[in-house]
Amino acid sequence: MIKLYDYVLSVNCYKQRLLLSILDVPYESIPVDFYPGWEHKSEAFKKINPLGHIPVIDDDGYILWDAHAILVYLAAKYDPSGQWYPSGDPERVGETASWMLFAEGTTNTASAARLCVNLEYDFDLEACQAGAHRLFRVLDEHLWFQERRGLDWVCSGAHPTIADLALFPDVILSEEGGISRMDYPALRRWTDRFRRIPGFVTMPGIFPASPG
Amino acid sequence: MTADPFTMWHPVASEHDVPYRHVHHGQLLGRELAVWRADDDFVNVWENRCLHRGLRLSIGSNDGTELRCQYHGWRYANRSAGCTYIPAHPADAPARTICNRTFSSVERYGLVWSGESPVGDPPTVDVLEAGTPFGLRNLPVDASVELAVRHLQAHRFSPCGRLDAEAPEMTVDGVSDYSVALTARAGDARSTAVFFVQPVDSGRCVIRGVLADAPPAGEQLAVWRHHAIELDRLRVVIEAEAASLPAPEPMVPMLQQVPLHLAEVPDAPAGRQPALRVQVQRKWETAAGVAAFELAPIEGVLPTFQPGAHIDVHLPNGLVRQYSITNGPGESASYRLGVKLEPDSSGGSSCLHETVREGDVLAISEPRNNFPLRRDSNRTILVAGGIGITPLLAMAQALDRMSLPFELHCFAQSAEHVAFADVVDGLGGSVVRHLGLSPDETVAEIRRLVAGYESFANLYVCGPGPMLEAVRREASAAGWPDEAVHFEYFKNTNEIDNSSTFEVALARSAMTVTVPAGATILEVLRGHGVIMPSSCEQGACGTCVATVLEGEPDHQDVYLNDSEHRAGDRIMTCVSRAASDRLVLDL
Repeated sequence: MIKLYDYVLSVNCYKQRLLLSILDVPYESIPVDFYPGWEHKSEAFKKINPLGHIPVIDDDGYILWDAHAILVYLAAKYDPSGQWYPSGDPERVGETASWMLFAEGTTNTASAARLCVNLEYDFDLEACQAGAHRLFRVLDEHLWFQERRGLDWVCSGAHPTIADLALFPDVILSEEGGISRMDYPALRRWTDRFRRIPGFVTMPGIFPASPG
Repeated sequence: MTADPFTMWHPVASEHDVPYRHVHHGQLLGRELAVWRADDDFVNVWENRCLHRGLRLSIGSNDGTELRCQYHGWRYANRSAGCTYIPAHPADAPARTICNRTFSSVERYGLVWSGESPVGDPPTVDVLEAGTPFGLRNLPVDASVELAVRHLQAHRFSPCGRLDAEAPEMTVDGVSDYSVALTARAGDARSTAVFFVQPVDSGRCVIRGVLADAPPAGEQLAVWRHHAIELDRLRVVIEAEAASLPAPEPMVPMLQQVPLHLAEVPDAPAGRQPALRVQVQRKWETAAGVAAFELAPIEGVLPTFQPGAHIDVHLPNGLVRQYSITNGPGESASYRLGVKLEPDSSGGSSCLHETVREGDVLAISEPRNNFPLRRDSNRTILVAGGIGITPLLAMAQALDRMSLPFELHCFAQSAEHVAFADVVDGLGGSVVRHLGLSPDETVAEIRRLVAGYESFANLYVCGPGPMLEAVRREASAAGWPDEAVHFEYFKNTNEIDNSSTFEVALARSAMTVTVPAGATILEVLRGHGVIMPSSCEQGACGTCVATVLEGEPDHQDVYLNDSEHRAGDRIMTCVSRAASDRLVLDL
């Protein structure tokens, strides 16, 4: 069974739990005392991931780290529909990669602000918040135009991709980092749609959406 | 002179922002708003604050009829914003005064308009009235309204059909404190746009543009894109200037004080006072011998009701009768009642059937709920005898909407005798019709369906007296505890013995009165100026309840169950009396 080195409050671990739940893949969660124990920085953990960060998966001996890389691997291997990582469609693969790089930005701003506020990380909080607002403006406009085209997700096509999945936790928990989403109504509607995906699971701070 | 923004209408959302089953997060003049569209298309604009613990309602869930707060699950009704259910108090009906703050709302030109205390109607704009308004993407700007309006006057865009025009000719058609109308011309092409500016806070606003004429479907995306680019360009200029100015103090919204009448011990009406006037909007035959009535408010919004609630209807002939509200959750535009014509009517049902017509005005009380529905049961059985379906229909729809399991058993003479059959047919869950059964067959059927009591099951029954007696008897025999069997009688058919004379002491009012034979506690107390609510005045509805501190009640009502009668700590003052010489009531 897949082992997931996991921390309940981590957005990047949550991304893996989300995809595994949506794809209905059984896994074993191995809790890492991220805060306040800093177990991911321990010598023992660095034998698993020398970079000293989570999540890490161990799929029957195959070890992989980096949240967005794991998403690509899990979707490519365990999604028989081929939709979450649309490898058969070069244009949608390109869009997925593009928005996953964008999601690196939301993780490094919105989710970093949350680490400052919740877990006492020493980042420049105001810079993180301002950066998140710049990216949310772009994402809100993109999603507004997607809606006008009859599209529900960040990439083209009728099905969500791991790009939506990579963005969702950074967006939905932004208020914990002091980043209001009031100015991004299209982004807020997209979070409703995302929370209605079959197999969706929550984490602390995230509520399920009303039935559609 | 600048108009007072607090008495004006402002846009608070675009129609794109309020799809079904969503809650939009907005703000106007410093006050946060939760804006949501119910399934009946009414757009609610509420203070973004659950009055229980202050959580933002904008993260709540909109189930199409009610908004549910995420914190403790309090549910608030479409239109009235009154609380309909508190999960932590599943056996109680929330007080009707638990109500979130609402603001007016009107949809016009693809925008939702609201305001703090708006006067009159939202503005009409001739060019939009004459055209086919087309909403642009709204643009939040970190700058004051004044700055946005000033820069908007120099805004440039190209007309539809000539989006590539290099230097369109711009004219300013009109300017107000909160809007700018512009026309762009290039060759034969011209487009007029009205930009409304929503004052979010002292240093924040939203520009909501509306084109007077919608472009052809094939060009709409290009037009939206063109305006998004041009407005984004404008925003850069506005925000650059705003950043160079000292940041204005944020606005502080006035939180509503608790009204005096809620902060103090309320004055309950001295008798049965009609609180509201309503108009009979529709009257129809919903089943054999059953007339249905839809009562709409003459002005304003009807008070919140909960499943199981009833109203007093003051009839033109002076009689007062009680009828259950049959509406599903969120159906708050009118109350729907079902009235069966009683062959031995003493003037109540016959007056409604024969005299009251569509368009008539009736006086009614506010809804009262003495038959509340728990929503924390593992199993809910609803047993309706004939017209007794009315409160149970409201309950079934509430449970259905929350996807909670229930069984509805309708006992009736025939299929034609099942009232509101269209609503019954639309219910999920398990609906069983038991038609044309003899009294013995009815009892046997009841015995079958209450067999096997499980914990956390609840049984609700409303119907004719003998049927209620049978359900209570059979449920008790099958092991149902009294507190799991909830019933509502149409009327009290007990023969009232009012021959006793006794003393009633009121602990809080420090007053002792004598109730003589032939008079009721309620009448004597009212005669001494004690204010007591009441409704049916025959011991069936539970409104005139009082708490007994000392003494032994002589119960003659059909509202309390056997355990409650034995406990002797509550009394229905309209019919019950004292078995001891003296009663002390908590009044």
